[in-house]
Amino acid sequence: MTEPALAAYLLALADDELILGHRDSEWTGHAPILEEDIAFANIAQDEIGHASLWYGLVRDLGGAEPDRLIFFRLPAEYRNAPLVELPKGDWAFSMLRQYLFDAAEARRLPLLAASTHRPLAEAAAKIRTEEIYHLRHTQAWIERLAQGTSESHRRVQAALDLLWPYAVQLFDPVTHEAELAAGGLLPEVGAVKGDWLQTVVPFLSAVTLRVPEASLPAGVSRAQHTQHLTDLLADMQVVARSEGPDVHW
Amino acid sequence: MDTQWPRYEVFEQEQPDQPHRNSGAVHAPDAELALQNARDVFVRRPEVSSLWVVPENQIYAWTAEALAADPSWQTETVVLARSASPYEVFQKQSQRQSETYVIHVGTVQARSPSEALREALAKFDAGSVLVWWVVLAGAIRRSTRGEAASLFEPARDKTYRQPNEYKVASQMRAANDAGKAEAGNEQPGPAGAPAPGPQEPAE
Amino acid sequence: MIDERLQAFEVRIARGEKIEPGDWMPDEYRRQLIRMISQHAHSEIVGMLPEGAWITRAPNLRQKLILLAKVQDEAGHGQYLYHAAETLGATRAEMIELLLAGKAKYSSVFNYPTLSWADMGIIGWLVDGAAILNQTMLARSSYGPYSRAMVRISAEEGFHKKQGQEMVIRYARGTARQHALVQDALNRWWWPSLMMFGPHDSESPNSPTLLRWRIKTRTNDQLRQEFVNELVPELQRLELSLPDSALRRDEASGNWLIGPIDWDEFKRVVSGHGPCNQERLAARQKAHDDGRWVREALEVYAARQDQARPRVN
Repeated sequence: MTEPALAAYLLALADDELILGHRDSEWTGHAPILEEDIAFANIAQDEIGHASLWYGLVRDLGGAEPDRLIFFRLPAEYRNAPLVELPKGDWAFSMLRQYLFDAAEARRLPLLAASTHRPLAEAAAKIRTEEIYHLRHTQAWIERLAQGTSESHRRVQAALDLLWPYAVQLFDPVTHEAELAAGGLLPEVGAVKGDWLQTVVPFLSAVTLRVPEASLPAGVSRAQHTQHLTDLLADMQVVARSEGPDVHW
Repeated sequence: MDTQWPRYEVFEQEQPDQPHRNSGAVHAPDAELALQNARDVFVRRPEVSSLWVVPENQIYAWTAEALAADPSWQTETVVLARSASPYEVFQKQSQRQSETYVIHVGTVQARSPSEALREALAKFDAGSVLVWWVVLAGAIRRSTRGEAASLFEPARDKTYRQPNEYKVASQMRAANDAGKAEAGNEQPGPAGAPAPGPQEPAE
Repeated sequence: MIDERLQAFEVRIARGEKIEPGDWMPDEYRRQLIRMISQHAHSEIVGMLPEGAWITRAPNLRQKLILLAKVQDEAGHGQYLYHAAETLGATRAEMIELLLAGKAKYSSVFNYPTLSWADMGIIGWLVDGAAILNQTMLARSSYGPYSRAMVRISAEEGFHKKQGQEMVIRYARGTARQHALVQDALNRWWWPSLMMFGPHDSESPNSPTLLRWRIKTRTNDQLRQEFVNELVPELQRLELSLPDSALRRDEASGNWLIGPIDWDEFKRVVSGHGPCNQERLAARQKAHDDGRWVREALEVYAARQDQARPRVN
């Protein structure tokens, strides 16, 4: 029971990183200033690299090869949080989404690094170093955008109003998560969310943003995606699917 | 007016026992983003162990030609501070083609940039120096040792950025051999050593 | 006195010395360099677009990372080059304004569309390969900041060419469809790559000055010939055909001689009438416009922080 359940959890982590990295990569060549074309492309590469690590663990637990999982699954088989599949929006939207995700990683990874499942602990430790820098980057940006001009403040607030319920949903437990936590493979359910709220809410308030009360539209979850994921995958998979899964690109 | 932000000159230190070298500049609105941008723009491939960034308007620069042409620095006595502060000194020492410009040679105490230049000329070997920079030490934002891992380690793993990841010479040889094998099937020739091929360049 | 300074300057150049920011230089030298460096910078930035469009469709994880890193490098190269031009007194804001107004040139090769994934391989091997030949030569440029930017760029560019070559080798020897894709890409990109080396020497107005002042150290035709001699045998070895019915090998010199280049097409594309010129500039204009509120916000924030800081003596 443990292996398939753990593989399912890791698949969700992998899908999160992949889809977020994919959205980040859409900014390359279109960022507000040249230095950010370069910086955000780094973040995109990091996230895709993390996805690669997690997909590797899924394969080691009996799953398919990473490229087959990525390019030959249907949208309904993806397990990312809907947060990451939302279109990139404006710069405030993408920066805030990345910040909310990075803050979650900052709380989750140290706990995963203590997992009793050794490969998982090692992967988490490796990823953590890169995530420290992501959080530093996105936090600095949100601080500045939220407190810059009235226009930048308005845009970040609008982004927060939309993103907050999706971000909170990041922590909804996946199937069997409680049992895996009981076995020491995963952190206690709710631990990461609790830490995250305690960091993120004060920070957002300190930079004069208002955390909304909003809730998600019904029927949107890791198992039930939006049209955005269908559109994203149609584009992402088109070249790979022009040949069979065993063709080498 | 849309200015693309001010410029910060960037200095990289490869190994802890080597001097910082000026590698270029980044545009940034403030020192924290300047340090981050410097890391993203200049540290995409190893090795770097420390970064410094300085607003460009804090850099006082003289070429050897300028020093000779305008000697006002010798007598300039405008004093910017009541007591001496440390200034970092950088030099360009050779005409050799390279990736970096001036390198850090040490520190002097002075109350103004001109005084710092005079001190530097006295303290450091001025013989073949082509360019001098002096910078108030307090104007430099420096990466700390605690930050080093998150700033500099991630570039290492991205081996796909390195040319030697790509074994094109052996792939071309394989393609060549496959082509010869096919040709060999069509035209059976004398057995023996194959014709010598072109020299393969090193990978 | 003006003649003396020019003489001294030319002696320095002849000695192989680097001219640094702050050194005296003729206005013409400064002007030519700003033109050349900013054109080069614009080429890198615009060059991000045709390849950047395929990042989302990379057919496996490794290719996705590689293409992201390559396009990121191009942004970095543009960044180093804008900086080199800035040391001559140009500002990045001005240079960008000229580009967006259609008043600045950039390499015409980026005005062609990327129609398939296989274009990524061909562009890497041919376009970056051509750029490397140019760049290696420009690293010996007499102007210090340009030379240093080119040394750095050359070190990073090797990966671009090799990853492209690896893709072309794989697809040429892959499935029938992959082979057809890469052959089609080669058919479309061969002549634009050759045009990257610029007009024939006989038609190149700036070259003598650039050569005398060691802004350039080899001619357009010399570089083009080197490129052709390297690529033709290797492409043929992969059973790819060159879209040039006049291509032949001259036994005496060993050179591969190409057919006539269509300079009318080159002029059309360089002057803004190529297939993608409008699209490329529109994309850059949009990024610039969409980014304005961001750049302003961070400047306002920084100014406020500066005012708030207590004055230190």
